[in-house]
Amino acid sequence: MILVPVTYRGGIYRHSEIMDLIEDIGGYIVQKHVIAQEVVLLCFMPQDDIEILRRMAKPLGGEVTDSPLVGTEIAIVIPSLEIHHLPHPACDIAEYVRRLGAKSNMVGLARGVGKRIAALNDEERDVINEHDIAVYVLGNFEKCIEHKMPILRRGIDVPIVLCGAPTKEALQRIVDPPVDGYVGNVGRFMHRTKESDELAKLDEIISEITRVLEKKRVEIAKDPLSVAPARLMDLINENVPKIHEVTSPTPLTVQMSGLRVKLPYDVFAGEIRKIEIEDNITIGNVAQVNPSRMRDYILLKILPFSETNVVV
Amino acid sequence: MQAVEYFEVECPEPLGAEYYKQITNDVLLDHNLIRAIHKLHIYVDPGVPIFVAVGVLKKISSMVRVQDFAAVNPLEGKIMLVLANETYLAPMLKIFWTQFGQEHVEQADRFTVILRGVAIGAKEVEDIVVADPSESIYKDMIYAFKCIAPEGFRIRRERYFKDKFFFVSSEDTLADDVDALVKSKFEMMGETMP
Repeated sequence: MILVPVTYRGGIYRHSEIMDLIEDIGGYIVQKHVIAQEVVLLCFMPQDDIEILRRMAKPLGGEVTDSPLVGTEIAIVIPSLEIHHLPHPACDIAEYVRRLGAKSNMVGLARGVGKRIAALNDEERDVINEHDIAVYVLGNFEKCIEHKMPILRRGIDVPIVLCGAPTKEALQRIVDPPVDGYVGNVGRFMHRTKESDELAKLDEIISEITRVLEKKRVEIAKDPLSVAPARLMDLINENVPKIHEVTSPTPLTVQMSGLRVKLPYDVFAGEIRKIEIEDNITIGNVAQVNPSRMRDYILLKILPFSETNVVV
Repeated sequence: MQAVEYFEVECPEPLGAEYYKQITNDVLLDHNLIRAIHKLHIYVDPGVPIFVAVGVLKKISSMVRVQDFAAVNPLEGKIMLVLANETYLAPMLKIFWTQFGQEHVEQADRFTVILRGVAIGAKEVEDIVVADPSESIYKDMIYAFKCIAPEGFRIRRERYFKDKFFFVSSEDTLADDVDALVKSKFEMMGETMP
């Protein structure tokens, strides 16, 4: 069964019927937002059954759209959390990817500023590597990007999309070895992105992220995961009641090949490992339950079929 | 930056210069400093690396008086001030307390101040000088240029003369000949360095 990320947008009236339908046909709801009279459901649906959802949504005035960013966690990496980069452009990009269903985290480097003095420490490197993709939002000068990019990408093994003020061609020329994606003409600026050409640039960032993630999905599909991350999310929701007491907006953050559980590792890691998925197969059998470098959270890395010989 | 007579950004990378022009414009607008600038020349070279801003300020002659932000209404035995905004409320109260004594100054709410039994008339109250914006302009200007300059350029040198200023920053130690560079940038604007 191939699960496809989609977004349902509709009124609050009878939305529980939509939720029941998604769950009944084997889909998973990753996030639910209730905004005034509107409900937004970010979910994974079996590919063949999306038409059923569309038919059900029509009389309720609901809309089902494809959302390739649902179920991904994206790191927006900026040289610092100073006024030079915040709220524009870093927050604008982070908010834009969030609108399309991704979970974005801002990673402001402690010493990412300048040219010669720019550096990346081990904690930052590990935090970035816990994401599905890293979007580097750098500055306005080719010379700076050329000099600092090799330092800021050292040890990063997730795909990188590089944004900077030079043109896309210039970025491709100065970054060696190449990164996975480039978006030119998005450097440091200090005003809100509201003009149509600026919004088009945000769209370009999204399409570049989508393209890179699609490539990663194809790679994962070659050696499929032993269990779908969304299924683990459902299991933890059912078996660990403490997760419902977490005040974070996404207590369980679904990634492309893992899951971030926002509970303390020392207390809950053992309990999570022992949760049975089916036929005596536990989470510990199909996933690595590791401590995250982000606070004291737990990070689940789902093992591929080639390592476990099971797909549940 | 229509109000500025001369505004140029010089940089070996033309696209970088264009972006820095936009950043300078945005920051100075946000900080309400555009109207205070007469001429401005910025030089950025990421190769050195160095950031230089030299400028000439306009004469700021207007003092902020009570009448600029409050309506003064003379009533029987008292004068009531209705404030349009509270930016200058604190310095105004301080002046009133010193001049009339705290027992004569009553603050009914955030936007209303009542003066009771004071010896001067409403016209004189309107003319009381509350603030001099030229006092803080140097501090504001330096803060704005700290935002404009590339981040990480933390070695700084700044000077403020009567109506001219310069701001130099880099991530390395500043070279000895930086004054000559600043001088040449003033000359490009048709001005001399004081």
